Amino acid sequence: MEGKGRITEGMTRRGFVAAAAAASALAALGNAGCSPSQNSVVKKDHATPPDPTEGEWVTAACWHNCGGRCLNKALVKDGIIVRQKTDDTHEDSYEQFQQRACVRGRAQRNQVLSADRIRKPLKRAGWAPGGGAASNGQMRGKDEWEEIEWDEALSLIAQEFDRIKAAYGNKAFFINGSEAQQLMAAYGGFVNNWGTTSYGAFAYTPGICGFGGFNLSDNGNDRLDFKNCEVIVLIGSNPAWSSGGSPIYHALLCKEGGTKFVAFDPFYNESHSALEAEWIPTRPGTETALFLGIAHEMLRMDAEKKLIDWDFLNKYTIGFDAEHMPEGEDPQGNFKDYVLGTYDKTPKTPQWASVRCGVAPEKISAVAELIGKDTKAAVVGSYAAARNTHVDNWPQMLMTIGAMGGHYGKSGHMCGLTTNARAYNGGSTIFQAGSSGLKSIENPIKDEALCHVEMWRGILTGSYNYTGSSSSKRNPGVKKDIDIHVIWHGGGARLQTADDQVTGIKAHRKVDLVISNASFLTTNSKYADFILPVSTLWERDGGFLTGNREMLIMYSRVLDRYFETYSDQEIVMMLAPKLGIDPLTIYPIDEKQQFFNQAAGATMINDKGEKVPLISFTQAEIDALKVEGKPQDGFISFTEFKEKGVVSVKRKEGDAYTYYFGKDFIEDPVANPMTSESGLMEIYCRKLAASCKSFGFSSDVTPIPTYYTGPEGYPGTFAGGDIEAGKPSKYPFQLYNPHYLRRVHSVMDNVQWLREAWVNPVYLNAQDASAKQIKTGDTVKITSPYASCLRTACVTERLMPGVVGLPHGAWVDVDEATGIDKAGSDNYLYGCVVSGAGVSGWNSGICTFEKAAEELAPDIDRPLLVSYEENGDYAGKGM
Amino acid sequence: MAQIGFYHDMTRCTGCKACQMACKDKNDLDIGNIFRHAESFEVGTFPNVQTYCYSFTCNHCESPACMAACSQGAIYKTDDDGSVIIDQDLCIGCQSCLKACPYGVPQYNEATQKTGKCDACYWLRKNGEDVACASTCPARALFFGEMDALQQKHGNGKQLVNEFPALGLASMTLPSVLVNLKACAQEEGFAPSLF
Repeated sequence: MEGKGRITEGMTRRGFVAAAAAASALAALGNAGCSPSQNSVVKKDHATPPDPTEGEWVTAACWHNCGGRCLNKALVKDGIIVRQKTDDTHEDSYEQFQQRACVRGRAQRNQVLSADRIRKPLKRAGWAPGGGAASNGQMRGKDEWEEIEWDEALSLIAQEFDRIKAAYGNKAFFINGSEAQQLMAAYGGFVNNWGTTSYGAFAYTPGICGFGGFNLSDNGNDRLDFKNCEVIVLIGSNPAWSSGGSPIYHALLCKEGGTKFVAFDPFYNESHSALEAEWIPTRPGTETALFLGIAHEMLRMDAEKKLIDWDFLNKYTIGFDAEHMPEGEDPQGNFKDYVLGTYDKTPKTPQWASVRCGVAPEKISAVAELIGKDTKAAVVGSYAAARNTHVDNWPQMLMTIGAMGGHYGKSGHMCGLTTNARAYNGGSTIFQAGSSGLKSIENPIKDEALCHVEMWRGILTGSYNYTGSSSSKRNPGVKKDIDIHVIWHGGGARLQTADDQVTGIKAHRKVDLVISNASFLTTNSKYADFILPVSTLWERDGGFLTGNREMLIMYSRVLDRYFETYSDQEIVMMLAPKLGIDPLTIYPIDEKQQFFNQAAGATMINDKGEKVPLISFTQAEIDALKVEGKPQDGFISFTEFKEKGVVSVKRKEGDAYTYYFGKDFIEDPVANPMTSESGLMEIYCRKLAASCKSFGFSSDVTPIPTYYTGPEGYPGTFAGGDIEAGKPSKYPFQLYNPHYLRRVHSVMDNVQWLREAWVNPVYLNAQDASAKQIKTGDTVKITSPYASCLRTACVTERLMPGVVGLPHGAWVDVDEATGIDKAGSDNYLYGCVVSGAGVSGWNSGICTFEKAAEELAPDIDRPLLVSYEENGDYAGKGM
Repeated sequence: MAQIGFYHDMTRCTGCKACQMACKDKNDLDIGNIFRHAESFEVGTFPNVQTYCYSFTCNHCESPACMAACSQGAIYKTDDDGSVIIDQDLCIGCQSCLKACPYGVPQYNEATQKTGKCDACYWLRKNGEDVACASTCPARALFFGEMDALQQKHGNGKQLVNEFPALGLASMTLPSVLVNLKACAQEEGFAPSLF
């Protein structure tokens, strides 16, 4: 090992140790760590290697959107990253848990220094300015790349922008990414986009019907209270894979304290196994039917077993029964009579629900009994059940079940979401970074924004349904013409992570110019004309990252500039003058000062519940940062925070951070109303149905939670959607997308260490696979109504029959000869299915599958999409 | 001499592979070499399936078969804590240890033409750091320490085990590992999940 440059596998293989050394320098004030003298007590005849702890630990950002944002540190020695570690700033305890990094965070250096990281701008060889045939758009995704100087790339882009603006106006520019949007706002405006992304129906419904609201994203109590639950019913929940950091640990402590777990899910996942949950296999997207069955059973058994909290329903909700309907509405439209089938003659019995959701009727009754008002029960899950089309009432259904059991605002009771950063730890954040001081430039174009579900179709066909500027700021739908000539991905992963990728690729091939800011040949980049290589947060002066509520991370610069990569702000600063814009009008404050402003303005909630300054600064610390500012007092000194990289609180029972979702509302619903029109939990919500109908995507959303279906999902697996007739359709399997630990959504799919650890198969039920003579390791072709992809089979008893699980986020890799994707990209198999409030429905898919003749190489053996020669020259696709 | 080892709480492990990656990073391993690997197993059939996860690495055995097989004296057990280490200066890459180890632990490195494996982060620990794998475990399922202390702290009055079907028999080499076993891990008919 001696003499080996300890650097990532890719860098070593490509021989860039020297280059990286030259490019890397430390800007850290950090603590070198304790280095006690070597205490060699091994046998004398064996060599003692050099001290592996030599170097300087620097807090390295883990900036991805998994919900974790845990503590990562990089050991840097002579400008080389030696290795990483995670939180050892204090002992790990129940009161103050360490912010431990996951498999992805631990592979972060293999991403930052990946051999396929782009070093200098790339231009698609066949592209020329002028639009139309000159842009040669059909070659996007197939063409060769050539390196180009920054100045030349940005000059070509600016000239093309000016030409397109003169010819078509600013509505020809489709721009994503916050910094690119700032520049384009200053340039006269751009067409924006919005979508429900991971949140599904939780993006819109809860704010309207009075169940928290968008971005509140949790209905759970804080972590100390979770262990007070006697039972936790999980709905589509797998914190071990889907909620970065320590949420699974919090859940495990509940199990060890005696909490019983029950899990509704198509997959017996690793969290269920660890939590020893009673697994109840449930078809994706049928949760509303399931819970209508549970509601029916709670009503049926209530007289005998007292399951329903009528006082809660009567005081805090409207629409549950005929006596509590909103003024002016037909009393017959209430929830209880729908469940009992009083007027539609279809009681939502366990048998009725079972046909739809696949759960045995007796299990439905048993869970109904388990979550009655006198049980300390949590009925919680992720957004998964809401990531379906035609499920806009699902969050309201969940709210209703919680209300029936009175499971809000008190210890041991909760119902709703517990996911992402707030999984098993609800409540508002204790620490917050301050404002950078930059002011957002308003987009002059306020009346154009495409909804993700039909965004690519809109750009391709020139017509779309405008329903407002975001998933929460909405207005009635208006059909609009649109004529997009430029797509600029100034960040994000829209072409990979928005619905209907097949159409997305066509839309990209239609326009005059596509630009992508990226570090790798991501899907956005693959179909671009220019790739502008961005720096990572490991190469920035510092910043803050938030994850779970009990901590704040302050990261520092780990590496100097990586070849010719720049931050998104620096790219805008370089491009702005070429567009006749003074960059200082966009960024009057430089990035160092922005960081200081965030630090100086950072706050925390102290143990008395007061918001106080977090970081103290001395004049010497301010001077060392080369920024303007005044000394101040705070909870932790800047120098100590920088050394540790993390600040967190020590919890104890009954402290100022104790949180029960809905407690304020329960105590005084008038002073602390929900966000609905009435201020109550609206089990009958006039506005939900009316507004969703007005958007013009579908007309099936109802004022009360009812079960309806779209063209896909479980009914779509039957001919004519007829479940009762039972004749299979061309696509007799349900397709859904579990989150996957190789990636954070689509980020890190190229990281070699992660590809090796997580092979990314397709999950098939053992009986289903056996019927097609498929065994683990075989190549499988999965075909949806839209396209096909190839994956290696993981044949398992853990998945219910009739369901296929394709992990979320693989970067599409289309074989241009066959049109088949070889990467298993989820969105390649999904189309444009619009419904309700514009919900993206990745768990509503349908498909068929067969054993494929093709051999599919493991992802780890696929060539790198970008590679460089030993001398640093761009070398095209790697081997 | 106190013997170091690992305690693995199967009732907590989710097979997330954070330990595997921390190990890969610490040992700076190329693709193809993994010194610790977390795996997932299933027993039974739908819907009565049961699963468990385990994180495999060198067991720092009391009677290491690898050490006995090494003709170069490159493999040694430290006097102070019983860590089993391959001295990279002495290893000639003959791979005798690979064949000898009943757990399939040592890994040949094509680039260095030597064999490597977990050294229980011996040199990190000598210099004041903790082992890379256990200190990152998000589920707090993996712990490192002296065997007696681990048994004392995590045993809850019962003897923790050092063998189960997916790991192999303990009698051959006396592995320094303590496992809080899930009942289903005692089943012979297990299948690895290709996750």
